[in-house]
Amino acid sequence: MLKNMELHVDENNIAHLKMNDVANMNIFSNDFIRGFLSAMDELEANYKPHALILSGLDSVFCAGAEKDTLIDLSNGKIDVKDLLMSERLINSEYPIIAAMEGHAMGGGLVLALCSDIVIAAKESRYGAVFMNMGFTPGMGTTTLLQGLMGDFVANEMMFTGKRFKGTELAKKGTNINYIVPKKDVLTKANDLALQISEKNVKSVYLLKYSLSAKKKKLLIDARLQEDMMHKLSFAYPETKETINSFYAD
Amino acid sequence: MTKEKIIEVISKNIIENLDDLENETIDPKKSMKDYGANSLDMIEVVSCSMRELNIKVPRAELADIEDIEQLADKFMEHAEA
Repeated sequence: MLKNMELHVDENNIAHLKMNDVANMNIFSNDFIRGFLSAMDELEANYKPHALILSGLDSVFCAGAEKDTLIDLSNGKIDVKDLLMSERLINSEYPIIAAMEGHAMGGGLVLALCSDIVIAAKESRYGAVFMNMGFTPGMGTTTLLQGLMGDFVANEMMFTGKRFKGTELAKKGTNINYIVPKKDVLTKANDLALQISEKNVKSVYLLKYSLSAKKKKLLIDARLQEDMMHKLSFAYPETKETINSFYAD
Repeated sequence: MTKEKIIEVISKNIIENLDDLENETIDPKKSMKDYGANSLDMIEVVSCSMRELNIKVPRAELADIEDIEQLADKFMEHAEA
């Protein structure tokens, strides 16, 4: 497995996947996506976990797309690799707990939307930042964000691109399961996973299969509309400029 | 627009965007980091303040700013322009 992911399955049959690309702060580089998919492959090939806890760095859970990918898209090169991650999570056999100690932006937040239970940190920020860069949301955001945030908060997040602090989201009353101090995020995730691990794994998988049917359909719907919107919005001449200024170093 | 007004707006946004600062007086000689801000907190404080003051500063110009007073100076430059 690539160094940017840490995977282990503990004595309670709980899988822990930590996205750990310290150098690039968990952005969707090609290596990152490859590492993520190969960790999921390994999990499926060698284990039957009761649940997966998906975590990231202390500072950044996942930062979403990298600049080069967006510039490629704005040059008309359609790249759907990041969608594979959404699909992979939604099609997993076991429940996934997203334990977001750090920030989650854009596609990084989508990883949580594709999970079954979500824990966020009071101190960190969460944003559907796509429109800040001039193009419409992707990776399933337009159909999946509502489930986690509620329709109107999802609208606000997508239209404004604002990066909301965990404490702000807590006040808004979203569907995020827990918004706790950063230091307690993993403890909470472990406690939830332990409760799942006490159940019959076959029934856990059955339940997951049935509950994920709705999300699978939502992701297909998203893909249709988001691909079309991306073809249009990435082709606007001003989009490339906005992407460049957004990533000014 | 006076520098005092700008510092007042920045300070208000620091208090609104960070936790547990309700009773704090913001010292412009300090960095937002001294008040517990992470990088995205700082971006949020800056963009809220710019909206409120109707100032636009390109991102690249904000990179080297070290404290709240320097941020206010940068805002002044663009307010007068």
